[in-house]
Amino acid sequence: MTITISPTGVELTGACPVEDAEILLQHLLSAPLAPIHWSACDSAHSAVIQVLLVAKARPQGSPNCPFLRDHVGPLLVRAVT
Amino acid sequence: MKEFIEQFILESRELVEQATASLLALEQSPQDAECVDATFRAIHTLKGGAAIVDFFAMERAVHAAESALSAVRSGHRSLTTPLVGDCFACLDQVSRWLDSMEQSGELPVDADAQADHCIARIAAEDRRNIEPDENWFEDFAKRNQGLRSKARTIVRFTPHSASFYRGEDPLALIASLPGLLSMALEPVDQWPSLDELDPFACKLVVTAFSAASADAVSAHLQGHTSECDIRTLDIGMGAAANGSPSVLTEHSRKLLEAQIILLDEEQAATFAGRVASAGLVAANVLRHCRLSASADLVVRATEQSLHENNAQYLQQAIANILAPAPAAAPQLAANAPEPAQVETVARSLRVDAQRVDALVRLTGELSVVKNAIGHVLKLAGASANSMAGALKGPHGDLDHLVDELQRAVLGIRVLPLRTVLQRLPRLVREISAGLDKPVKLLIDGDDTEADKAIVEMLFEPLLHIVRNAMDHGVEVATVRRERSKPALATLRIRASRQEGHVLVEVEDDGGGVEVARVRAVAKERGVASSEVLDAMTDEQIIDLVFVAGFSTASQVTELSGRGVGMDAVRTAVERVGGRVAIDSRPGLGTTVKLMLPFSVMLTHVMTVEAGGQMFGIPLDAVVEAISVPLETIVGVGAAWAIVRRNRTIPVFELAGLLQGREQRRDGHQAVIVVAAVGGQWGGLRVDRLGERMEVMLKPLDGLLTGLPGIAGTTILGDGRVLLVLDLAEVLQ
Repeated sequence: MTITISPTGVELTGACPVEDAEILLQHLLSAPLAPIHWSACDSAHSAVIQVLLVAKARPQGSPNCPFLRDHVGPLLVRAVT
Repeated sequence: MKEFIEQFILESRELVEQATASLLALEQSPQDAECVDATFRAIHTLKGGAAIVDFFAMERAVHAAESALSAVRSGHRSLTTPLVGDCFACLDQVSRWLDSMEQSGELPVDADAQADHCIARIAAEDRRNIEPDENWFEDFAKRNQGLRSKARTIVRFTPHSASFYRGEDPLALIASLPGLLSMALEPVDQWPSLDELDPFACKLVVTAFSAASADAVSAHLQGHTSECDIRTLDIGMGAAANGSPSVLTEHSRKLLEAQIILLDEEQAATFAGRVASAGLVAANVLRHCRLSASADLVVRATEQSLHENNAQYLQQAIANILAPAPAAAPQLAANAPEPAQVETVARSLRVDAQRVDALVRLTGELSVVKNAIGHVLKLAGASANSMAGALKGPHGDLDHLVDELQRAVLGIRVLPLRTVLQRLPRLVREISAGLDKPVKLLIDGDDTEADKAIVEMLFEPLLHIVRNAMDHGVEVATVRRERSKPALATLRIRASRQEGHVLVEVEDDGGGVEVARVRAVAKERGVASSEVLDAMTDEQIIDLVFVAGFSTASQVTELSGRGVGMDAVRTAVERVGGRVAIDSRPGLGTTVKLMLPFSVMLTHVMTVEAGGQMFGIPLDAVVEAISVPLETIVGVGAAWAIVRRNRTIPVFELAGLLQGREQRRDGHQAVIVVAAVGGQWGGLRVDRLGERMEVMLKPLDGLLTGLPGIAGTTILGDGRVLLVLDLAEVLQ
């Protein structure tokens, strides 16, 4: 399971495939303010990143993956601000 | 050469049709790669054909459209409505050239100026598009100024909206891009709200700086080259003053190279046109790439070339600009996967329509001979000739084979209605824009087939009906809103085969025919007396719009229903033996139904004899054939009539109508054929009824052309000529 819901928010773990986009979207629609953690995320499909961009989500933590950390992370921060 | 040109005209017309259809489809779904490819392919082949017959003006004009579409395909340019309009204008020009070539058999003389006009239109539209197109480049460079010195390549990647469905992960591709320095993610247009987001439709546009060469970047993105714009940042010339990077794209280089090739031609007659257009295209390309200094050089070189009548100045100027070629461009072209060419085996054969018509004529003659043999057999049988019995079997076979041959031959002339219907979307688009009424056109059953003559005559009536539906049927936006109808009106054309007939229906979702208004206008115009008009049913009133004079004399806006041209529709449809009717649903819409024969050549007739002459009456129109006591025919003023089923039917003496014979009062019984055409009933008094037969109708020619009341002729078995009546004219 790459997306888990816990009382502390939504967590992205491992390699999040394209199907996760739908699951993540539904979570974010029902709980728009839920914090998202992606420290344990190794990679995320473009569709998942697109959902994060549209939701203006600002995931917490620093993911393992350099691409997510160095390139996608700053864009998400910019999208929120 | 003449055959060459004929072939070229034939093929070009098909390609213009294909390009028009796919351009329309492309405008509907601009992201559809297949539509882009189909349009591009048709235009490209059209250009190739022009080059083969040395029609350089056409080649240049089509080339301009091709270049614009190529830019659309590579994402450099967006497909705007004006651009589609310009491409249509270019195709229209090609059609006009083809018309002129068809008439004269030679290339049009003033084509260069017309081609220049097409090119200028497309170029002007391009200039309007440069700004938004270039912004991405500048914005990104500004935002990432710190990395600018390390960056060698910039790439903009617009993945197909269905790329997620295809199992692609565009960002994974970018993540592994060699030398990735910086990346931006933007929406194709704008981000939807979260609840409107389709998570599996890709809306991303990725822009990235890379420290790797364009070569390496394009190799990495192999398979996505059509979705990428890769530019090398190793610039050594013409950098814009503000420091923003200015580079020649791969497509720009190709366009410039094409101009050099164009200038190589040795056609003195088209020299000025070629130089002017090559100069214009090259300068525009350079301005597009923000190389305005180079563009100015080209403009000056163009002037010099024109002045000194030597293309070399311009050629050299373009070649100099192209000289410091970055290695990426040719590589990129080599790496780009060629679209798969589907080899198609020729399943159809092009045959001159005249040859087919000759075959139809011969088959008609054959069937006449067959009928003659039948007649001889009948005579032989009557005289108890022993051979008559023996010949009966073979004659039966001959009868059967000739019938089959007739059907097979008529089958050759069969065309799908698509050939006519495909012209409508574009016209609807234009009428819709002209009237400012958004209309969606849906076409069903365009593969329904009918005889060539029927298909070809269908266009004008259909156009009248469609125009009427959009002008008067479809309400203006405010009225549609009040009636809670969608702002986008729907016009649906359905075609289907109904046994021996073809049914074409044109349905709109407008306001329907305003019966009260039509009745009032009919009274105003004195179409009939007030009492008669008041007694008429709604259907009969609606049918009045088909009455000649009623509609043409009326003001379109005054009627605010159906009107102009509908009499022309009925005339055209009935001329080929069809029928037309209107079904109106007040407030909901109108359907105009055209019931057409499958073929005009094969007609079921009933033979009658009048004044010693045989006539054929098309069975379609015959209601009944009756024998009535003479006293039931009563005088109404100067005319005669009978009453059948509470309907008063005027009776005419057929021989009288055609040969001027007086109405007879002889005998005790009168044989009358009751027929109805376009709501008009009439009885034709004849001497004798004959038999029913299927005949191949020959249109009137020679001295008989224009003979009133006669639709055509055929030859009977005994050699006599059968005149087949045009009932619409006879009963008028």
